[in-house]
Amino acid sequence: MTDPDLLVIGGGPAGIAAAVRAADAGASVMLVEMRPALGGAFHRRPIEGVEPWPIGREGERRWARLDEGLVRTGIVPRLRTAFLGLDGAGAALLEDRVAGRVEACHPRAIILATGALESVRPRPGWHRPGVVTAGGLQVMMKETGRIPEGRILLAGSGPLLIALAGQLTARGRPPVAVVEAADPFTEMVAGLGLLAHPRHLAEAAVHLGRLALARVPWRRATVLEAITPKGDAFEVRLRDRRGRRTTLEVDHVALHDGIRPNDHGLPAANETPGAGPIVVSAGDGREVLGVVAAEIDGERAADRALALIDGRPEATRDHLRRLARERHAQAVLARVFAPARPLDPLETLPDDTVLCRCEGRTVGDLKVLFTGADTPAGREIKLTGRFAMGLCQGRFCAHWVAEASARLGPDAPAPRPRDLTGDRWPARPVPIAALAAVPDAPKR
Amino acid sequence: MTASTFLFRGAAVPFRPGETIAAALTAAGLRTFGLDPAGRETRYFCGIGACQACLVRVDGVLVEACLTPARADGRVEPAEDRHDRS
Amino acid sequence: MVIVGAGIVGVSTAYFLKRAGVSVRLVEARAPAAAATGAADGAVSVASKRPGPMMATATAGIRLYRELTAEGVLDGLFFTRSTFLVAVDDAEAEVLATHAAALAASGVSVERLTNERLRALAPSLSADVRAAAEVREEGHAIGYEIVRRLIARAGLAVERGVRVDALVADPRTGRVTGLDTGAGRIEAEAVVIAAGGGSADLLGLSGVLRARRGQLLVTERAPALNAGLPGAIMSARYLLSKASAPGAAPAASARGYGLVIDPLRTGQFLVGGTRENDAARPDTDAEAVAHILRDALRLVPGLASVRLLRTFAGLRTAVVDGLPLVGAVPGRAGLHVATGFEGDGICLGPLMGRSIARLLLGEDPGVDLAPFDPARFREGRAAA
Repeated sequence: MTDPDLLVIGGGPAGIAAAVRAADAGASVMLVEMRPALGGAFHRRPIEGVEPWPIGREGERRWARLDEGLVRTGIVPRLRTAFLGLDGAGAALLEDRVAGRVEACHPRAIILATGALESVRPRPGWHRPGVVTAGGLQVMMKETGRIPEGRILLAGSGPLLIALAGQLTARGRPPVAVVEAADPFTEMVAGLGLLAHPRHLAEAAVHLGRLALARVPWRRATVLEAITPKGDAFEVRLRDRRGRRTTLEVDHVALHDGIRPNDHGLPAANETPGAGPIVVSAGDGREVLGVVAAEIDGERAADRALALIDGRPEATRDHLRRLARERHAQAVLARVFAPARPLDPLETLPDDTVLCRCEGRTVGDLKVLFTGADTPAGREIKLTGRFAMGLCQGRFCAHWVAEASARLGPDAPAPRPRDLTGDRWPARPVPIAALAAVPDAPKR
Repeated sequence: MTASTFLFRGAAVPFRPGETIAAALTAAGLRTFGLDPAGRETRYFCGIGACQACLVRVDGVLVEACLTPARADGRVEPAEDRHDRS
Repeated sequence: MVIVGAGIVGVSTAYFLKRAGVSVRLVEARAPAAAATGAADGAVSVASKRPGPMMATATAGIRLYRELTAEGVLDGLFFTRSTFLVAVDDAEAEVLATHAAALAASGVSVERLTNERLRALAPSLSADVRAAAEVREEGHAIGYEIVRRLIARAGLAVERGVRVDALVADPRTGRVTGLDTGAGRIEAEAVVIAAGGGSADLLGLSGVLRARRGQLLVTERAPALNAGLPGAIMSARYLLSKASAPGAAPAASARGYGLVIDPLRTGQFLVGGTRENDAARPDTDAEAVAHILRDALRLVPGLASVRLLRTFAGLRTAVVDGLPLVGAVPGRAGLHVATGFEGDGICLGPLMGRSIARLLLGEDPGVDLAPFDPARFREGRAAA
């Protein structure tokens, strides 16, 4: 394997835009993607013989441009290749899942474009089979064109719930309801900010129009409190703004409480030449600004990386101006989707509520750590409580454990999620046979 | 429908070219893909290989069903630890 | 009394002092078990110790774990199991035979196993293993769990994030009377330094202590394979790496490899490791990890289909002559030290904590601390 100038991790809009931009500037580029196809969350490609998911004419134009860029530059993405992180010697570790081996690669710069990860807040029953993330449901729909049989409930908070509900409805499978913790209609003043972002407003209008036509209830200022199995289905308990509780029977629950950068186990940014490879992050993996911003930020990151390794000029002003606009749109959305009432603190959930899905560690298990004279700090909570120690390495519990710990031990410094997850490679579990194939490096 | 199938717990599961194991098992009506080595039910959750909840065993090794394309005539087993150690 | 350092040694010292009714403050620059204690393999083992004081002390260390477990203090945290020394070639078989004899001679329960018996006991082991010895009555304990338990049992509140800047001494007598810390001055009747690598600056021992890195790996759960290993598997090559075989010189190269495969109670495996001089940071690299894994696959081929979950490293504090530093600091009344256990801190920590506590209480420490006496590094004296 020849070491490229630039290694780009992630084949979504940010990664592709970065790879194309760098290749156009003459750099040698390697683009890796963990899934069997490029695209990322928004441009996810369907499997053979399935119609692409409708993403609007503008979306299709953007994808065509990215695809054309790859063809023009001759970049052949390495699919089914996972980035395991940077090791202590500065090697970028790539797991080639087709060949079943790990390679140590020494690029001059790395662009991390790993997209976003959904936040899903723990609730009683959230770990049950049949409960998925809204994004997970969307992946399945976009790739296969199929929607699982039965009654679907979408719950949590954020614009994705409305978008997904609109898409389900357009396919003739409207959800039973959309349960939204915020009350966007009361945030009129904040909502006016969206007038400056007609693209977002138009998208919301289309989805909400569909929901209204199909009479899908949008239950605002309402939270999903608990999910209980009932035969092959679930009984879910909802609580509205006045504290009134109702139950619904559904077959599938899709949860979503916002998104955040998918930066777990990834190396920190490094803009110091000579101190290992340059590391620049891009797109939602750096800051969640959405699909349009991802492409802009990918180009910005490529410019930045090339400036750092070769001293090439950067054209940052236009990029930064366009990013600022997307940042404003996201800030408006965040205000519109702020919870109508404070959410229940995690430590007030029933003791048997699962926090760590991998190891089944519960709220009660966490509270036990805070009963003695001594208040444990972040890493001790991890080690002695066995939180964030399972196979997902804390991706789905570290934030919540940190949040609850800060309240349980108010006299101690609040733990950070990173104190719980640590920052060692491998960023994901890797087969020993594949890793054992890394040869002793010739002395560099 | 295509004729491609893989074996899961000895039963043929149909899939379309390019489909992941998770998509095929879900389409076959499975909500859980068996137990994991810790004895918990495996299940589809995040869809992007982050949560490690949908593990299945292919060629003896655990893989994320949501990331791994189904293979014609392949064998997929639950993740529970019963692999051949010879 | 004030103890500096909340690793297993400092916490054990505090625990035994509190148990004797002494009021104790435990100050820690970061958090309990934040350094070597939290990055250890958990071996409570004599199997790899050099004959002599380390072998004798390790045996006493295991005995104390057993006592504390019987008393309920370490209930559910310390587990007895054997260590299997294994050899895959003639050179290793020779080291193994010599070492097993040395262990037996110092009273350790050790038995050479026939291949047939080995296969029956440890079906997950490779057929390449041609010689093995079972060292019985060994144990496993996870450092950070022991620390957490002892803190809770003693009702200690660790003073976290307190950096000790200097010792305070009476200008007339030289007696240590306290500490200057980032959180102000702390008066003390007696001070115990159990601060691992941080001890060097406080004691002026920078030429005596050195950091030695160990890289370790943890796999996902593989209960069936795990059940096929009845105890820790230690390659006879480890003895060479650790320079604990009789006559072996301390490793001169920057990086030594030794192999221990420990089947954890969770169904996971802990696999280690390296011994590296002059490593500045506790990080891990793919080259070392792949090397360790190739060695591990040779002994337990079934690991090939298991996934690696975590890598981590610790900087162990070693003393240049290979023996720990335990006891009163010469010329500094009121000051004791206990550090430099390198990779043996988990095994020896509780015992050394109890010994220091007893010294402070004016009692017989109960073990021979003479070989570990800090006085051997007094100016003008050669290293022992």
